[in-house]
Amino acid sequence: MSGCKSKSGPAVMATPFDKNYSGPVTVDPLTRIEGHLKIEVEVENGKVSNVWSSAQLFRGLEIILKGRDPRDAQHFTQRSCGVCTYVHALASTRAVDNAVGADKNMPTNARIIRNLVMASQYLHDHIVHFYHLHALDWVDVVSGLQADPVKAAKLANSMSSRVTKPEDLKAVQTKLKAFVDSGQLGIFTNAYFLGGHDAYYLKPEENLIATAHYLEGLHLQVKAARAMAVFGAKNPHPQFTIVGGVTCYDSLSKERIQEFKDLYKETKAFVDECYIPDLLMVASNYKDWAGIGGTSNFLSFGEFPADETDINSRFIPQGVILNRDLSNVMDFDPNSIKEDIRHSWYKGESSLHPYEGETDPQYTTYEDRDRYSWMKAPRYKGESMEVGPLAHVLTAYARGNKAFVPVVDSVLGTLGVGKDALFSTLGRTAARGIETAVVANAMEEWVDNLEDNISSGNTEIAVDWEMPDEAEGVGFVGAPRGALSHWIKIKGGKIENFQLVVPSTWNIGPRCNQNKMSAVEEALVGTPIADPKRPVEILRTVHSYDPCIACGVHVIDARTNEVHKFKVM
Amino acid sequence: MSDNQKILVLGVGNILFTDEGIGVKVVTDLEKEFSFSPNVTLMDGGTLGTILMGPIMECEMLIVIDAVLGDDKPGSVYRLTGEDLRKSLAFKDSMHQTDLLDTLVLCDLCDSRPDCVVVGIEPFDYETMCEHVSDTVKVQLPVMKEKVLEEVKAAGGSFNPL
Repeated sequence: MSGCKSKSGPAVMATPFDKNYSGPVTVDPLTRIEGHLKIEVEVENGKVSNVWSSAQLFRGLEIILKGRDPRDAQHFTQRSCGVCTYVHALASTRAVDNAVGADKNMPTNARIIRNLVMASQYLHDHIVHFYHLHALDWVDVVSGLQADPVKAAKLANSMSSRVTKPEDLKAVQTKLKAFVDSGQLGIFTNAYFLGGHDAYYLKPEENLIATAHYLEGLHLQVKAARAMAVFGAKNPHPQFTIVGGVTCYDSLSKERIQEFKDLYKETKAFVDECYIPDLLMVASNYKDWAGIGGTSNFLSFGEFPADETDINSRFIPQGVILNRDLSNVMDFDPNSIKEDIRHSWYKGESSLHPYEGETDPQYTTYEDRDRYSWMKAPRYKGESMEVGPLAHVLTAYARGNKAFVPVVDSVLGTLGVGKDALFSTLGRTAARGIETAVVANAMEEWVDNLEDNISSGNTEIAVDWEMPDEAEGVGFVGAPRGALSHWIKIKGGKIENFQLVVPSTWNIGPRCNQNKMSAVEEALVGTPIADPKRPVEILRTVHSYDPCIACGVHVIDARTNEVHKFKVM
Repeated sequence: MSDNQKILVLGVGNILFTDEGIGVKVVTDLEKEFSFSPNVTLMDGGTLGTILMGPIMECEMLIVIDAVLGDDKPGSVYRLTGEDLRKSLAFKDSMHQTDLLDTLVLCDLCDSRPDCVVVGIEPFDYETMCEHVSDTVKVQLPVMKEKVLEEVKAAGGSFNPL
């Protein structure tokens, strides 16, 4: 069930080019995301009128975890996702910390190290998302070949403190041309800009600058990943988190911490000198997208605690915003989450709190629009919620958070738009950059604190604890993709029930029992479609959520093309 | 080929889906059973993508172990070399952000694409959620390991049983 891998490339229904098109558009699978997602929309007179977001991969992790040692949960949950290993490891660990009471005695160093690795994950994920997963929705890479490198360098130098030379941009063009000429467009094969597209607005020079940073970002993200590994030990699957702390004793040396600082500083410089200026460049050209793709309700669990037991101590604050009302941020209440299955491929019509959650699959058909997703539909007080960077930034902004407010105001001011612009696809993409810059700013103080503790002789990074016979606990993580929670019930020292409510279930799940749309479904309604054969507008909004379907099916398919025989045994 | 070229033995796949975990299983076994010369690194790559670019770009020879759909009967062992990979798989059908082939193209864009060989096996079951490989694939484990060790040796690495 899990491995329903498509045997062909992304299929878009063959419809004639028509700006006032009415009819269906299907994108399946959506590329440049993690996992398999089908988005079906109805278009009326060139605008999206109805949406079904259909996750095509079954996650049965809850079933496989039953009866296991609670400490082992993290080793399974971090494999549930292809890319966000650490956030799951941390959520599982926090759930058990919470169940056994280890969170009450968490050593300061353990808390800081967990935060530093999470912060590195933010930097890595958001840079890769902006440049390597999302940029192609806005940037026509091939158009960069037409750019004048001298003009482009001048423009780049006017936007950033970093010095860009024409010859460097010329070299990027040469490289790009060789790539295009080799017919190996590969990673760009599915990009809708190929052959030109009305919905792409950047000038060739702007496209060239973004492409240069696309390439530089590839090198840079390697360093951001290495920063995680300084504490993460067994890269790339972190094994340094344990219930009651962390285990990376080797990383407490001066040399290792200096290594982290160097990698972090280089990454931060890229964020300040490339990511943010590029974001502003894209945003100032696509201001129409400040009025497209918005949602109403937002949920943040917050992240980077100053005290593991206190959700209010988190650097990114927790909170709930309903109906875009920034004057009324509410505290998040863990008891108000329920998961509905009326429109999902599970038995029944239940609406259950995660502690009581059931996972009893019942597939209908691929075409079904009544039950159409392997995802459940999480709701907060019955409402569909958006989670992720925009929820984080809105919550922080509405709470008057000192780290976020100046950066948000500066971005809005530069673009000459008001707060309302945040409730959009562009706002979501901008929020991710804002959050990256703010977190990068904060990290220096955290790593300094760690260094001070160690030099003063405090090297404690883990505490002892005892497994209770019966307990329950929850781990809330404000992951780069948004609100993640793991819920555990322990009985007889073993896992009795384990439920994961992941960010993408909030964002791109199906309708709930009350037939309310999920965040991405709501966001897509009203989206203009310039060319139904190449609906880049759908991709812009879907990608702005950085969706992750947690599939992890990873089988090389040698049948897809010219078939060679490679059998050796 | 230099005798001391850096070799990365990368087991990929999701260990939660039966035979999809074969690559990781082979690497984990080899780590337990052999000690390797300093130019050889073994790594559990899981289903990660861009995050693997660092280690991939640092090596000169990449030996990937994975499940491969080649239309032969389950348990068939395959060897795919760099050029064949390029021809047969192209990149047009990749659907995962984390596709290993996409990752290799990105390494190419960074001018650091190593030579690559894939040692693969036709899975019996890669859909059921289970952390053990199927019996069909399990009986071929010794063959898989032998093939990987042959590749390591051919690439200039050496090893001793522990």
